[in-house]
Amino acid sequence: MAKGKTATGAKEVPRALQELAQGLEEGLVPAGILNDPEVFAWEQERIFARSWIYLGHASEIPSPGDYVLRYILNNAFILVRGEDGRVRALLDMCRHRGMRVCRAEAGNASHFRCPFHGWTYRNDGTLVGVPAEREAFGEGFRKEEWGLLPIPRLEEVDGLLFGNLDPEAPSLEEWLGGAKWYLELVTKRSPEGLEVLGPPQRFVVPTDWKLALETFISDSYHTLMTHRSMIELGIAPRDAKYAMYGEQIHIPGKGHGAMVVGGPPGAKLPPFWGYPAEMMERAQASYPTREQWEVAKETRIFLLTLFPNFSLHNPIRKPDHLYPTPVPMLTFRVWHPLGPGRIEVISWGMVEKDAPEWFKEKARHSYLRFFGSSGTFEQDDTEIWSHVAQNAGSTLGRRLRFNYQMGRNVPQDPNWPGPGVAYPINFTDENLRNFYRRYLELMLG
Amino acid sequence: MDPTREILEVLYREAELLDEGRYREWLALTTEDVVYQVPVRLTRERPPEGGYGGVSPSMYHLDEDRTSLEMRVARLETGFAWAEDPPSRLRHFVSNVRVGLPQETARGTEVEVRSNLLLFRSRWDRPEFTLLSAERRDLWRRQEDGWRLARRLVILDHSTLPTHNLSFFL
Repeated sequence: MAKGKTATGAKEVPRALQELAQGLEEGLVPAGILNDPEVFAWEQERIFARSWIYLGHASEIPSPGDYVLRYILNNAFILVRGEDGRVRALLDMCRHRGMRVCRAEAGNASHFRCPFHGWTYRNDGTLVGVPAEREAFGEGFRKEEWGLLPIPRLEEVDGLLFGNLDPEAPSLEEWLGGAKWYLELVTKRSPEGLEVLGPPQRFVVPTDWKLALETFISDSYHTLMTHRSMIELGIAPRDAKYAMYGEQIHIPGKGHGAMVVGGPPGAKLPPFWGYPAEMMERAQASYPTREQWEVAKETRIFLLTLFPNFSLHNPIRKPDHLYPTPVPMLTFRVWHPLGPGRIEVISWGMVEKDAPEWFKEKARHSYLRFFGSSGTFEQDDTEIWSHVAQNAGSTLGRRLRFNYQMGRNVPQDPNWPGPGVAYPINFTDENLRNFYRRYLELMLG
Repeated sequence: MDPTREILEVLYREAELLDEGRYREWLALTTEDVVYQVPVRLTRERPPEGGYGGVSPSMYHLDEDRTSLEMRVARLETGFAWAEDPPSRLRHFVSNVRVGLPQETARGTEVEVRSNLLLFRSRWDRPEFTLLSAERRDLWRRQEDGWRLARRLVILDHSTLPTHNLSFFL
């Protein structure tokens, strides 16, 4: 969406955004940005209508005709693989009167027929059938002009499909910048890449999308208290400083951030997240660079957030508290904004396509029992995020500024081999300060 | 005794334990080899053969065995399980109970039981509440000390869950 043409373009900048711009470099973030109708209206136009938004994974629609239904804001898209093998994202809206031509969330179809007046589209979006075409519309009607609207932009990176509502957006590759190196830590572990373990869980949380994202882009600090129950069960480490170890990395100018956590000094943890030896060997040969392998083999917990609302989490884990050996899990998630202080979490379990079957089964359990709708970690996260958003929308609460000052004096790590700016500690809000710099750039630019 | 009457009693007893947060006692109502699953449900086109559509065979909200149920119960006992401390106010409305014919198997006497569930949940001091609706397909096994839950498949009447977590049992 071009600058100055948006509905919000002429209006005064919301007060909370002005305060964010004033306070960010001091580490002061106004609570008001987390649950405010006006801020959310700006975010819809200035962030979500022109950012690359994750739609799904190629493995969800492996065969011609396979489709899933996905959203950017309130726009419904049919993410569908055509007979030509190409993936398209088609606006799920009949060109005649706007009815949904696809109301199922997933399936396989060669055509989509509108239930209103019967206009029929091929799964590449072409309009191929109009009842009583000649009698009703006459000679001059040109079906080729009335196909389903393709999403303005659709691009894929390593099986991950991203859409963009802005036809003039930069390429996905430019958008990702140095974050691609970190994405490859999970996508390039094997030549076959990743696949979904099944359809995503979807659940609604009364919170702000930025609050959920914070946890996944920078917040190791919360583990000790939010997830205290899991520490009591011996699943999360008891060491109060555990979450400070590892590197926090951000991509300046892009808003993306990663956390790469190894074993604390003296911890007896297997290398490479505890993946089976065969998967580790494949990874060593498969990673594009030696540096990625060197980093990956020391990693036990890895999180990556791509601006604005996609996160992945890949920790060393076990299928339950008594299981004897580690079986790491991988989850992708979208923090889909529904309104001010309201999101839908779309949470996928992921696994390496060429992993052994026993491992896939255990990795599914490692994911389900700790993250997602019933996850013993995530259920406490959503409880806490809900209350913070409620408070942030309160009359007095919205006037407060939150403290984002952690780690302001930590010097950068000059020896980090990956792209971006790295800090040798995770007790820092630096990834968040970087996220909000990019956020402000889009909101005010 | 009539097995239908016994099953009704154990289902109501189970609901009472879940509504009162007596999770350790609820766990004792399950067998050592229990399988407890809540599959993801998707909006799909009507299946030609009828019946429930869109029940995922591969992804779940909960997919538990006795050990993982034990982990979830132990978590609730830690005093740090914020999602349920303070606890939700839950009410399991169990209706439309259909009891099959008891079968003798290698594991003992087993009976298939279907029931409808309407689960009321309210949290905090707010007036809003959540309703979850489902059909439960169970297998109950008679052990020396009574009927035990050996298998439960919860077919939700929801695609996107209208609640922020599943921090309880259905």
